[in-house]
Amino acid sequence: MIAFTDIVGMDLAKQALMLLAVDPSLGGVVIPSTVGSGKSTLARAFADILPEGTPFVELPLNVTEDRLIGGVDLEATLASGQRVVQHGVLSKAHKGVLYVDSLSLLDSSAVSHIMDAMSRGAVIVEREGLSEVHPADFMLVGTYDPSDGEVRMGLLDRIGIIVPFTPVNDYRARKQIVSLVMGTRNEEDTQDELRMLRGIIGAAREQLHHVSITNEQIKGLIQTAISLGVEGNRVDIFAIRAALANAALSQRTEVDDEDLKLAVKLVLVPRATRMPEREPSEEEMQQEEPPPPEEQPEQEGEDENAPPDETDSDADEEQEETPDMIEELMMDAIETDLPENILNISLASKKKAKSGSRGEALNNKRGRFVRSQPGEIKSGKVALIPTLISAAPWQAARKAEKAKKGIKTGALVISTDDVKIKRFRDKSGTLFIFMVDASGSMALNRMRQAKGAVASLLQNAYVHRDQVSLISFRGKQAQVLLPPSQSVDRAKRELDVLPTGGGTPLASALLTGWETAKQARTKGITQVMFVMITDGRGNIPLAAAADPAAAKAPKEELEKEVEALALSIQSDGIASIVVDTQMNYLSRGEAPKLAQKLGGRYFYLPNAKAEQIVEAALS
Amino acid sequence: MTQTAKAAKKTTSAKATATTAAKATAEKKAATTAKAPAAKKKSAMAFPFTSIVGQEEMKLSLILNIIDPRIGGVLVMGHRGTGKSTTVRALAEVLPLIDRVKGDIYNRTVEQYIEMESGVKGAPVLKASDVKTEKIPVPVVDLPLGATEDRVCGTIDIEKALTSGVKAFEPGLLAQANRGFLYIDEVNLLDDHLVDVLLDVAASGKNVVEREGISIRHPARFVLVGSGNPEEGELRPQLLDRFGLHARIITINDVAKRVEIVKLRREYDEDPEAFLKKVVRQQQKLQKEIVAAQKLLPKVSMDDSVLTDIARLCMALGIDGHRGELTITRTAHAFAALQGDTNVTMEHVRKIAGLCLRHRLRKDPLETVDAGEKIDRELAKVLGEAEVAA
Repeated sequence: MIAFTDIVGMDLAKQALMLLAVDPSLGGVVIPSTVGSGKSTLARAFADILPEGTPFVELPLNVTEDRLIGGVDLEATLASGQRVVQHGVLSKAHKGVLYVDSLSLLDSSAVSHIMDAMSRGAVIVEREGLSEVHPADFMLVGTYDPSDGEVRMGLLDRIGIIVPFTPVNDYRARKQIVSLVMGTRNEEDTQDELRMLRGIIGAAREQLHHVSITNEQIKGLIQTAISLGVEGNRVDIFAIRAALANAALSQRTEVDDEDLKLAVKLVLVPRATRMPEREPSEEEMQQEEPPPPEEQPEQEGEDENAPPDETDSDADEEQEETPDMIEELMMDAIETDLPENILNISLASKKKAKSGSRGEALNNKRGRFVRSQPGEIKSGKVALIPTLISAAPWQAARKAEKAKKGIKTGALVISTDDVKIKRFRDKSGTLFIFMVDASGSMALNRMRQAKGAVASLLQNAYVHRDQVSLISFRGKQAQVLLPPSQSVDRAKRELDVLPTGGGTPLASALLTGWETAKQARTKGITQVMFVMITDGRGNIPLAAAADPAAAKAPKEELEKEVEALALSIQSDGIASIVVDTQMNYLSRGEAPKLAQKLGGRYFYLPNAKAEQIVEAALS
Repeated sequence: MTQTAKAAKKTTSAKATATTAAKATAEKKAATTAKAPAAKKKSAMAFPFTSIVGQEEMKLSLILNIIDPRIGGVLVMGHRGTGKSTTVRALAEVLPLIDRVKGDIYNRTVEQYIEMESGVKGAPVLKASDVKTEKIPVPVVDLPLGATEDRVCGTIDIEKALTSGVKAFEPGLLAQANRGFLYIDEVNLLDDHLVDVLLDVAASGKNVVEREGISIRHPARFVLVGSGNPEEGELRPQLLDRFGLHARIITINDVAKRVEIVKLRREYDEDPEAFLKKVVRQQQKLQKEIVAAQKLLPKVSMDDSVLTDIARLCMALGIDGHRGELTITRTAHAFAALQGDTNVTMEHVRKIAGLCLRHRLRKDPLETVDAGEKIDRELAKVLGEAEVAA
């Protein structure tokens, strides 16, 4: 077991956990990091610095609702003949830590239950004849690998601290350090250090009541939250608590600039949906600017500088109210602590919301067993244990009744009322991955038709239990605008602000779509369909994403890339539809070729209406 | 039927003992038990309704539903972390009292009680004077996402079956919510089979349970309150239609207001009891206003011309069915009563039309105009203010 103090590196994550130890009302800490960075080791070592006897419960990913919330304890119930309640994992973590490894892979219904418990500080058990309230006021510590998908925004909203993502290249060095340290350390040193750390945290907990924060400082934090476009008002409280906790750790009585900066870094920035006004976003945009496309270069940058959010103007006005000094300070924190690709990060956090339970159908046959409910034997698989539980209390009564009638009974009298069938959770339905060509060559009216088709399909998504994902490709590479989801609102919003202009990275689109499909499959999606809305005229190679200099490539190479990907996608069992947006007289037949390579169907958009595309996709 | 009511009756009386026994067992058994003192405390001490800053639309919707529960509930959808559930849970403290039959688990009125219990053959004919009543606050029942169907609808009381071998009905959340509020947080994530149950009960106002050879039918009329974030998933259209009002809630971007929110929250967290003591007057004042509005409501009237305008508005917006008109009419009455007015005018209607109709507009995927704006525009046309609006 590696102790908290033995872990070198991941300083920010450690700092975050210490803040949480000082003020558990921060709700929790989420640590996104790549495989092997030692994030789970660190999270598990968190128990070291908490007061002794603090519960530390690790949540298994495949947890059932029963185990999570609590229910009837079968063994004890049968033994005692009285119903005995078993507390769920959530209430076992009361006043302690609930640790989830691979938080982003957690079942969405489990996530909902955790959210619910965090909002109440308790679990309400209304199941199987039980009606109880179990306290469940816990700190949630979650680690995950962002390449597995993102954590649901609703859950992140209840967790105070999100540690900025640790880049990949750092972890090897850190791993080395860990093993190095392990070699030289002795147990006694470790124990001493831990004791000291626990002392510091204990003292900080005391100190916390004596730390004050000024109104100006609070205003500064709020202003920063607004200018970063953070959703909701709950973050304000978290940011203040983080600043106070940090001051308490240093045994100060007043919050200082460093505390504020740390709060901005750990609480606000990871939830940013846009860059503050002052950030020269044009610069970023220029970097992103793709090489000019073959035709219609005047289209370029059409919507480029459109503000992503209409609330921008509000933020503008209010910026006046904040004292300059604090504002400067916040900007400082944002600018110095952020990697260069800030816009990508902001977008990433915006994309985080995933589909709700709508994407997962409860059914009687496939998927993961989550619960049992009354039903008929024929209508599904019988859940034996729940059936026995519901039959158990009746045995005496039924036997007596039968005996009265002179009927002999076996050891068990089971009636049809007892029968419980298993409910499985299964992400059924098809995932439609829309790949919308947003390059300069897409005339604006095509874009509108494409948007219409996507929106209509989304309208259908509920009825058919389908999920939709949206990928746009323009410039150097494709980008996932909307991970598999069923939210019409979100997709509509993403579509509304979809900028156009730049080259056509067709290969990148295929690759991104394929990756999205693979990821969805690990989460139970069985069928995937690509709906590509493009003229099929790719002119940017895959390599351009990493190296802008590689943007120019011979036509044959481009075609080879696309062909190889298309064939792999086809053989992976992904169905495709290619909607050709090219005007007829310009057509060189690229889109039909693409459809052929993908083994998919071909449509010619100028003749097709949005409804027709939908029909084709659904048929 | 004979057996039915008897069983139900037995339940009410025997229930208390059975539950206590169950609690005792549970407490002894589970290691981490301590039967939820923290949680209980939490529900008893919610952040006060009157100290919630902003989000007027949601607060108004809830208050109007208290004044007239026939409005049909409210759906609160919007951004995370904007105080949706805090507000709904705070509601309990400002709710008025209602009369119910003493100890009745279904919260029945004397009339309901007599009607149900006297229908049984062989049962003595009950007189209103025989039935004792008590005053209770309007119940607010929380329906958690993980609830199972048997707990929502009620089922056979297992404790009772175990201890005495008697089949008795153990009422569920729907019974507790009768004449009160049923709150579902993250309503858009609720399991489909529970949504089916809710739709069924909301439509009929009755809950029917048939199980283990007994059948129970009890009143279950409640104000349905749901909240959620549209980004987490869509609401089923049938369920959406059930909600009388639809309040939207967004992140407050006014620094001064947010500072105020933070201040109040921190003060509350520091010492909840002291905080509540401080605002007790405000809370009582609101409660009095609500009670006054309830009293005034039967005296509120509406001219036919207003009704005509409402109908024209709904037609202009292409709203199917008559639920739109009905909801506007009721809501406008309640709103007028809240304002202390006895005559409903189009000015009242204007204030609440968005709440009533927003979710009833046909969804057009390509529409970019906000539903609220559309309603305002049509309303202006109906009132002959088209030029002004243009």
